[in-house]
Amino acid sequence: MRQPQTAPRFPTARRTRCALRGGVILGATALALTACGSGFDDGPAAGDDAGDFTSGADPLTVLIGSSGDSETAAVEDAVAAWSEESGLEASVQIANDLTQQLSQGFASGDPADLFYLSTDAIAGYAANGSLQPYGDHLENRDDFYPSLVENFTVEDQFHCAPKDFSTLALIINDTLWSDAGLTDDDVPATWEELAGVAEQLTTEDQVGLTFSPEYQRLGVFMAQAGGALVEDGAAVADSAENVEALEYVQEQLDAGSFAFSSDIGAGWGGEAFGTEDAAMVIEGNWITGALANDFPDLDYTVAELPGGPAGPGTLQFTNCWGMAADSPNQEAALDLVEHLTSTEQQLEFSERFGPMPSVESAAAQWSEENPELTAFLDGAEYAQFPPHQAGAADVIADLNSQLEDLDSADAESLLDSVQANLEPITE
Amino acid sequence: MTAVALRHRGRPAWGQIGLYGVLCVLALVYIYPFLVQLATSFKTDPDAAAQPVSLVPQAFTWQAYERLFLHSDFPVWFMNSAVVTLLVTLGRVFFCSLAGYALARLRFRGRAVIFAALVAVMSVPAVVLLIPKFLVINSLGIYDSYAGMVLPLLVDAAGVFIMKNFFESIPRSVEEQARIDGAGIFRTFWSVVLPMARPALITIVILSFQGSWNELSHFIVATQSPELTTLTKGVASLASGQLSQGSEYPIKLAAAVIMTIPVAVMFFIFQRRIMNSTEGAVKE
Amino acid sequence: MSTVTRAGVGRGEAAAGWLFTLPVIIILGLFLLVPVVMALWVSFSDWTGRGSPFSADVGLVGAENYEAVTTGGGLAERDFGLAMRNNAWYAVLVIPLQTALSLFLAVLVNRAVLRGRGFFRTAFYFPSVTSSVAITVLWLFLFSSSGAVNRILSWIGVAGPNWFNDPTGVVHAALRGIGVDRGPEVLTENSFLSVSWWEWLAGPSFAMSAFILMAIFTTSGTFMLLFLAGLQNLGQDVDEAAVMDGAGIWQRFWHVTLPQLKPVLFTVLTLGLIGCWQVFDQIYTGTQGGPGKTTLTPAYLSYQSAFISQEWGQGAAIAFILFLIIVAMTLLQRWILRDRPISGRRRMLPADQDSLSAQPKGGRG
Repeated sequence: MRQPQTAPRFPTARRTRCALRGGVILGATALALTACGSGFDDGPAAGDDAGDFTSGADPLTVLIGSSGDSETAAVEDAVAAWSEESGLEASVQIANDLTQQLSQGFASGDPADLFYLSTDAIAGYAANGSLQPYGDHLENRDDFYPSLVENFTVEDQFHCAPKDFSTLALIINDTLWSDAGLTDDDVPATWEELAGVAEQLTTEDQVGLTFSPEYQRLGVFMAQAGGALVEDGAAVADSAENVEALEYVQEQLDAGSFAFSSDIGAGWGGEAFGTEDAAMVIEGNWITGALANDFPDLDYTVAELPGGPAGPGTLQFTNCWGMAADSPNQEAALDLVEHLTSTEQQLEFSERFGPMPSVESAAAQWSEENPELTAFLDGAEYAQFPPHQAGAADVIADLNSQLEDLDSADAESLLDSVQANLEPITE
Repeated sequence: MTAVALRHRGRPAWGQIGLYGVLCVLALVYIYPFLVQLATSFKTDPDAAAQPVSLVPQAFTWQAYERLFLHSDFPVWFMNSAVVTLLVTLGRVFFCSLAGYALARLRFRGRAVIFAALVAVMSVPAVVLLIPKFLVINSLGIYDSYAGMVLPLLVDAAGVFIMKNFFESIPRSVEEQARIDGAGIFRTFWSVVLPMARPALITIVILSFQGSWNELSHFIVATQSPELTTLTKGVASLASGQLSQGSEYPIKLAAAVIMTIPVAVMFFIFQRRIMNSTEGAVKE
Repeated sequence: MSTVTRAGVGRGEAAAGWLFTLPVIIILGLFLLVPVVMALWVSFSDWTGRGSPFSADVGLVGAENYEAVTTGGGLAERDFGLAMRNNAWYAVLVIPLQTALSLFLAVLVNRAVLRGRGFFRTAFYFPSVTSSVAITVLWLFLFSSSGAVNRILSWIGVAGPNWFNDPTGVVHAALRGIGVDRGPEVLTENSFLSVSWWEWLAGPSFAMSAFILMAIFTTSGTFMLLFLAGLQNLGQDVDEAAVMDGAGIWQRFWHVTLPQLKPVLFTVLTLGLIGCWQVFDQIYTGTQGGPGKTTLTPAYLSYQSAFISQEWGQGAAIAFILFLIIVAMTLLQRWILRDRPISGRRRMLPADQDSLSAQPKGGRG
């Protein structure tokens, strides 16, 4: 079952891969078809010369994958405010399935002008010319965190502005924590301590720690063990560190103190945490919005994840505001992006649905306003990004399908298969 | 009643009782899920989770329906489905009977070829056409429009078949009389033959109504705008958690209930007809 | 048959004939024939979803797309292999079960000569008319971890699985139950379509099993009606004759009724087979191929490759392979059913079949 579309929807793997085609239509059938007007208009050529922006009076469409009502309303308000100011019409569309709608939009030549774009989708769309790279034209270009910019840089071109980012942290249910006789000093700092408190928190009605069965959560253990899937552009999925990480998780799953959210009847970790089927969960910033919405009475603490054999480690996620090469009004779209990524606007988004601003100028104020959430921002210092090579989404989707069966799988051969799948796309 | 039927009657009562016992249990298995669906749509979320089998909501609530109709695009989906279904049904009735008549009655060169082509076309499985249909709809410039949603569904090879078979069963003398009286071919078809084809037409209406109301894959590849989302597409997105975080089954089941009502009404109105024209019932 | 012979009418008929069939020809041509040709082209090209597939930049890549999914050794092949495995199990279980159940229902309803027959027919048929999306939504609820099915199972002391989230194959689960955790090396080391034989033999996952039950639930009504029509066309005399012979109910059914239902049986099996390889709506609505890719089907994979991964060529290639599979299976089935000799007992029956099947329908309630 699909995960709720939490803001950084990209953690649930989606895929893309493409290459650019355009030109004249051949073939008798096709000729007959074009007589009626082809939908395959070859739009403006994808920016070799990034200075070429289209402009016009066409209204803008913004396609987002929303985590829920609060995110939808926040984006709608921001876009409406810009619309009023600029006098240009702009509307927000909520995607049912962002990837499918994007792909279909690109193929039909009539995509949304701006859209959420995940790190693992960008390489594919950039390769087939669906995207208009605009990063270097942003007024606030230098304000974005360099590590985020790197995620959206394809072939040395900064394609799109990171809209925000999130990291994973350990969310703890305060009531269940103290019921188990634990105090603030017991917040785990190592794997042993994590296993210990998870065991203490496990009762008949609840498990100690939960997370969804996917790389986008379990990856933190790999990072803590000193592993990764891709390092410096090379596939390193079958490392001993990764094996150690998965075996550690297997052990705890076996013991029953860890459990996958799907195994305890929840759609995602946040749900199991909210219903108190789990006392701790590994989740990202978006969980705060979801909990405030669905389980407003729950008291919880956000802590940094424990360190593993190689020290602290977590994953971070980011999305950017992708711009379509086929958009007829890219100048206005660029202006809208600047509005949406401005320091004030990002702080407001953060307040309304949880992610952290992608610009450095907002960091101080964000920490000040969210003292209880600083663990998320602290994690950014050592966080890893999931691989973003073209085709990585498919590999991760396959890894995730194997992780669902982790309790009965052999960690080493599981990772071997990931390595085999990663190698062709990292070469 | 034939002799065998009578013989059955004369059997020991326990045989019949056993038979009805088995039938009742099976019928319960077939009907209960729909009752649960209806009941759950009036429950609150926690109630639905706690009492999944119960047919009586602990606290009866319209909440799910309110949410659907007042705070979601559901009405738009419903309207789109209704419009498309109406157009497709009208189109199929007209075009299928027209072509069926020509193939059954009119003599012209190429008839055999057309007929053979129809048979061939009927064997192409629909899911194989997902990608290609998108390509063609897009090439024609009708992607993401009502035209793209309706046109490809407007004709149905199986419908032509049913009509052809039916027209072949009508005696020729009727229309020959009309022709001798000087009526043109279309006139003969329209005012003499077509009115006689009511049973077959009803079959076509049922099939196209059910087919287009329940169609999903075609709408996935033919549209992208939220304004053009149909019930099937919309409810499918609901199922994967678009409107709500977590499970929220009452909303989803309420959507499923409403979606089932028109076909159910159709079903009960034409029940006899559907049951008797198994030929038609097959092509779902 | 009499004919209107005047030349004028003949010409008029020709024109009218074409005119009347023109809408059908255009629409079916445009939305069935042309698409197939276009997709065939795409399946041999490297088109990736932008611009026209017929543009000069799109190259023909020969059978590359077909190779990628059948012998490529990469993810594409494995995904296709898994989809084939899942769908094969689906077909192997759904077709016999739905056929047997619908025949069983038909026989029961046919015997129910007293009142209530209409009610039972309606009850069994109703699931067939509702949309697959609505039924899938209902199924997700019934088979959720704390849903109705597991609740009912718990009444009889069975702890139900977490259906739609459990990727374990039922054969594997059963083997685990008797202590077999790992397959013999012969099975785990050798593979077909990048899926090891041990995985091929895993059985449908619990998630797929729920879909299998759903398919049986929604199709048995339709097929029941077909069998019912067939049963009602049977000559009662045959039955009578068999009764005189002193044949038991079971024997009578097996040797007298069933052989006569062969045409209907063929229709049901063929329709079942074709339907079974087109599993798409349920997967799109319910699981999107998960958990653990165990509900991935070729139909859904074809859609996913094209519309999500933007591997349009591979998606089209999968669609054509699927097409060939369906055609091949149908032919195979036709061949098997056609050449089976008629049972000995049947040949001894006094009347020949044609005159029997032409008999008026027997006692309809």
